[in-house]
Amino acid sequence: MRINSSLVHSLFSSVFTFLPRLRKPRNFFLYILPFSVILGRFVPPSYSSTLNEIGVSLVQLIAFPAIPLVLSAVMISIANIFGSETRSSSDRVRFGARFIVSLLAAILFASSLALLLSLYQSPGILSPSAKLSIGRFMLDVTDIRVGAVSTVTQVNDIWISKLIPSNIFADASEGQTLKVITGSVIAGLAIARLRADCTQPLITLLRSVNTISVQVLSIVLNLAPLVLICLISAAISTINAEIVVALLNFTICVFLTAIASLGISRLIFRRFTSTSERSGISVNPVDSVFLLSLSTGSSMTAYPLLFETLTGMGRDESEVEASASLSLLIARLGNVSYNVIAILFALNLYDVSITPVRVVEVIALGAITGISAAGLTGVATVPTITVALLYFQVPAPPILVLLLAIDPILTLPRAATTGVLAMAIAVVSSYKSPSQKDLKAAASPV
Amino acid sequence: MVKSFLRLIVAFSCITLLFLCPPEANAVNDFVSAIQGRGYLKVGLPPYNTPPAYYLDPKSDELQGYDVEFARTLASKLGVEIQFDRSSTSFNNLVERVGNGDFDIAIGKLGLTYNRLFDAFPIQYLSFRHAFLANRGFIASLGVDPDDPKFGETLKNSNIRIGSIQNSTWETEAKANFPNATFVGFKNWPAAKKALFQKDSVIDAIYRDTTEIKPIVYRQPDLSLEYVPILFDELIDRKSIYLSQEGWLGLKDFIDMTLRREWGGIKTDINILDEFQSFYLPS
Repeated sequence: MRINSSLVHSLFSSVFTFLPRLRKPRNFFLYILPFSVILGRFVPPSYSSTLNEIGVSLVQLIAFPAIPLVLSAVMISIANIFGSETRSSSDRVRFGARFIVSLLAAILFASSLALLLSLYQSPGILSPSAKLSIGRFMLDVTDIRVGAVSTVTQVNDIWISKLIPSNIFADASEGQTLKVITGSVIAGLAIARLRADCTQPLITLLRSVNTISVQVLSIVLNLAPLVLICLISAAISTINAEIVVALLNFTICVFLTAIASLGISRLIFRRFTSTSERSGISVNPVDSVFLLSLSTGSSMTAYPLLFETLTGMGRDESEVEASASLSLLIARLGNVSYNVIAILFALNLYDVSITPVRVVEVIALGAITGISAAGLTGVATVPTITVALLYFQVPAPPILVLLLAIDPILTLPRAATTGVLAMAIAVVSSYKSPSQKDLKAAASPV
Repeated sequence: MVKSFLRLIVAFSCITLLFLCPPEANAVNDFVSAIQGRGYLKVGLPPYNTPPAYYLDPKSDELQGYDVEFARTLASKLGVEIQFDRSSTSFNNLVERVGNGDFDIAIGKLGLTYNRLFDAFPIQYLSFRHAFLANRGFIASLGVDPDDPKFGETLKNSNIRIGSIQNSTWETEAKANFPNATFVGFKNWPAAKKALFQKDSVIDAIYRDTTEIKPIVYRQPDLSLEYVPILFDELIDRKSIYLSQEGWLGLKDFIDMTLRREWGGIKTDINILDEFQSFYLPS
């Protein structure tokens, strides 16, 4: 019995030392991806739904600390930034201005980059064989049934209604991330206006919730390799390779946007950090964020790394916390760029001419629909482009069917784009911590 | 004694009456007898080729299809040969002619309309949903998501331009179900399809039953990008075999029994699409 117990213990500990190793991006490309592809090729399609269900359940597990993390991070950071006792009003204005400007610039950059790449790559202009492949794939799938009971959830609600919080606890329990964020911002501003002795117990509690949430996230993230194996092999088992080939230009565009975003984020990181800040870093953290998001398919998984890196460099904890959580969750820059590409794909597919006015409309609608994906994860973010397609009077159902077919692959670069651009926003908008600023001020006369 | 004598008389009278009555004639179905006397069943078919329902096989130069096979089964159960007549000028003309007694039955995916009920008597054997093959551009221009419950009403009240075979049930149905639509009649089904696929087409959709609409995209899948089948779950085309008044009185029970036993009851478009998958689905 003792032997069995020790055996189980050693097995358990070896699994939990093995899994974190697999989380390294290098291991994703060397082991997880090839293994998942091979597994997917051999798994019969009847088992793929089980694998997919396991993967989705594990994703749900990984996502579960997100809401308390967001709630606590946003509330604490806003309270700290706007608390009159902790910093000057010029600091607050500086952070607010830098954050908003960098957020808007990043949105504009992501959508413009996606637009330029799409104009160059022309996704949606298909060869006859690609049209045939797509047509075969859509047979029976996109038929419209009039009189049948619709089971599809309407996604084109008025976006503003998704922002207004009703009851922060109810919103949190219902997973309404956007409402939780706006509720937390408002609550943070309220805390900032109160005396510290009144709010300290709540701040302590929130800090504790935040620390625990980060810890929970780092524990459940150990399961990320298993999630990827399940999801990728299930996708390989069922995905129609013909469709991937037919939509190759679209796929290339999304990957190129992710790589270009990585390049820009690296430049921003170098431009907006000092040599002394970078001195303790051996690996470029932007690369790590990119690979971690890419290899897990979730930008939120990069939050602890992003936070630790920037605070480790001496950046103000509250500013990093606020800018990182808000840009990761609100801006959803990966979705913004993806939606711009998807809209242009649809316009090309239906021979809609691209005029300068339409280009502006594409950027605006790509940004709005991309941001409206806040709070949604994975494949659930894709139908957000329906509003834009309806605006351009382009048939939405066939586009959605095609996008959903290849989404298991494209969710990875989308997450990576969100991750690296959120890092860029956090780097630009956060500043050195007050203690470091004091040190610098003291050192400068000497 | 008298009582016994009277009983004997009554019994004798009854027996005498029994023997004096003429033997009752056997019940005769005059309509069936006439067919059997003629030696063949006269079947009216539309003047079109609509595989796999009814068509002239170019290889064997013989009529083929499930409607043709059903008529042949009916003839064999009647114990007679079969003769097809394809000289009617339209579907409506075919129904009028069977009502006038030109044929014993008329078959060939004939829909049920009020006008046809004036001319002949129907027996339903197929239940097909109405369907459009519509231009996706027109559907998108309606500005309502097809998953939206309001989509059906929006489409029905739209100014859609519908094409189908002239003087067919679809002309009547289009006018009844789509009050604001414009109906454009074509000589035959291929002409209607050709018109839809033309650039700057004069129609937005073609209208027929599901078994005619779905095969278009099955055979040419790349059309799925531009055109979408719209299936109306609540608009059912009750395809019927038509008979004259005499035919209905004489053959109805016979046809009903053949439908139940040999045909397997009323078939839906899903049954037909499944049963003739090799025909409908692309290789």
